[in-house]
Amino acid sequence: MSIVRTNGRGTTQVLGNTAKWVVLIFFFTFTFIPLLWLLISSFKTNLELQLKPFAMPEIWQFANYANAMKISGLPRLFLNSIIVSTVSTGLTMIVTSMAGFVFSRERFPFRQGLLNLILAGVLVPIIALMAPYFRLTNSLGIYDSLWALIFTYTAINIPISTFLLYGFMRTLPRELEEAAIMDGTGFVGRYWRIILPLTKPGMVTAGTFVFLFSWNEFIYAMLLTSRPAVRTLQLGIRFFTSQFFTDYTSMFAAIVLTMLPTIVIYIVLHEQIIKGMTSGALKG
Amino acid sequence: MYVKSSKNAFWIVLFLIPLLILFFFYFVYPLGFIFITSTLKWNGVSKPEFVGLQHFISNFQNKTFLLSVKNNFIWLFANGFVQIGLAALVALILARRPRGWKFLRTVYFLPNVISQVAIAMMWAALYNAEYGAINQLLTAIGLDNLTHNWLGEYATALPAIIVQQVFYIGYFMIIILASVMTIPDSLYEAAEIDGANVWQQEWHITIPMIKDILVTAMTLAMAYGLRHFEATFLLTNGGPANRTSVLGILLYKKLSALKYGQASSISTTLVILGLIMIVVIRSTIGRKSSASDLTQ
Repeated sequence: MSIVRTNGRGTTQVLGNTAKWVVLIFFFTFTFIPLLWLLISSFKTNLELQLKPFAMPEIWQFANYANAMKISGLPRLFLNSIIVSTVSTGLTMIVTSMAGFVFSRERFPFRQGLLNLILAGVLVPIIALMAPYFRLTNSLGIYDSLWALIFTYTAINIPISTFLLYGFMRTLPRELEEAAIMDGTGFVGRYWRIILPLTKPGMVTAGTFVFLFSWNEFIYAMLLTSRPAVRTLQLGIRFFTSQFFTDYTSMFAAIVLTMLPTIVIYIVLHEQIIKGMTSGALKG
Repeated sequence: MYVKSSKNAFWIVLFLIPLLILFFFYFVYPLGFIFITSTLKWNGVSKPEFVGLQHFISNFQNKTFLLSVKNNFIWLFANGFVQIGLAALVALILARRPRGWKFLRTVYFLPNVISQVAIAMMWAALYNAEYGAINQLLTAIGLDNLTHNWLGEYATALPAIIVQQVFYIGYFMIIILASVMTIPDSLYEAAEIDGANVWQQEWHITIPMIKDILVTAMTLAMAYGLRHFEATFLLTNGGPANRTSVLGILLYKKLSALKYGQASSISTTLVILGLIMIVVIRSTIGRKSSASDLTQ
């Protein structure tokens, strides 16, 4: 294997090398050090936080984490987020894989026009739809319930998920189905037994995207619910400042706990997660 | 090519109906709602009163509205040029596979899997005037006179929020890096033999090859700038004295005050600005990027 994309020669190399590492280390510091600061501070007393900001905690205050669990109601917040994200991801996959199947395998009037209309949905700034979503949720009688968020997240993700799944299904060869049709497989059988299993990689990508969107969504979680019992994790974090009042380090512990699961999952599945999150732009 | 579909008509309709119902209620109806309501004076309960373009006219005479639009444009340019510029720079460096590049790539992307809310809470603590690490660091190295109430002062509030957003380059860096990695090594080998240095290689080979993805990334980043909400809402809620307000924040405040007409006129402005942005980007820097490049 030849040496490719080397780093130049002579003085430019030294200069370029230094500049290169300055850039890389700067962004490493910016990304990583604040998180580390938060983690270490979450084990301190509040006095230490003020007086010895850059020292290690004298005694590691695991009690902060016990406080955090007690005050923040984290288990409930996590449960709500898991329910909302899982159900809305499942619904989005069902609805858009059915539509993607029809759009990619069948011919019918207004097919292209309808598809373009759905895909144009990605251009709509969803934040602009606060007022109608609020009214709609109220008229459906689901305001202040997890269903409000489940339906909203499912619907919001329809354009991007249709785009990803339609794009994937379109590349599957037709011959696969032709053999099945000879054997008498019907419409539903072609979708369920042939196309859907083959679309799994596309569904994993789209599903990751939808799940992370739903997990991290904040605006509509705030607008469409009000009871503490239906708060999702992201909404719950917002109330930490009032719940913990001046017990900052316990609040930091609670914030760390909210970050932990996604970070652990990311460490295990980072390739898949990066692919899922960037696929919307990459396919363009 | 296609399977004969007349007998399948029933199934086609059945398979599309869930999607069409959701799309109608969550896209078609809401857009109609904001366009129509933007011409009404309405608190959501009383009988709506038609006021034509009155809301738009008074918006453009309103200082907070104009400030919010200006801030949205600052966000748009900061995201589109600063963030994408830095993301591209780092992507070009990592594409040459320096020591530890895979690890760095993973770390740079990390903030994207943490929610914006948690990140914003962390920065609220870092910027805090009493116990925040930034002021403490400045004091520790003898730069006491540079300490600020970062989120509370007119001059520092907006830059402080923007910094904590645009320096998280991971998302766009990954997109750009993936594109750079697809350029065949043979192009660089040939350039190397011809005596082109690294800068010349990047400028004449890499940049032209990744132009499309750069335009896509810029479009996306700018769209995020227009839709910006979370970090500002959590860090300053538009303050001090509306200095950090953006259209999303203003919209939320109007809606909370049950001013449906005014709220919808802001929504309509957001939709129109989004469309103008796409048209401008397409007709200037990129003609190829498709509508489907955008995600929420």
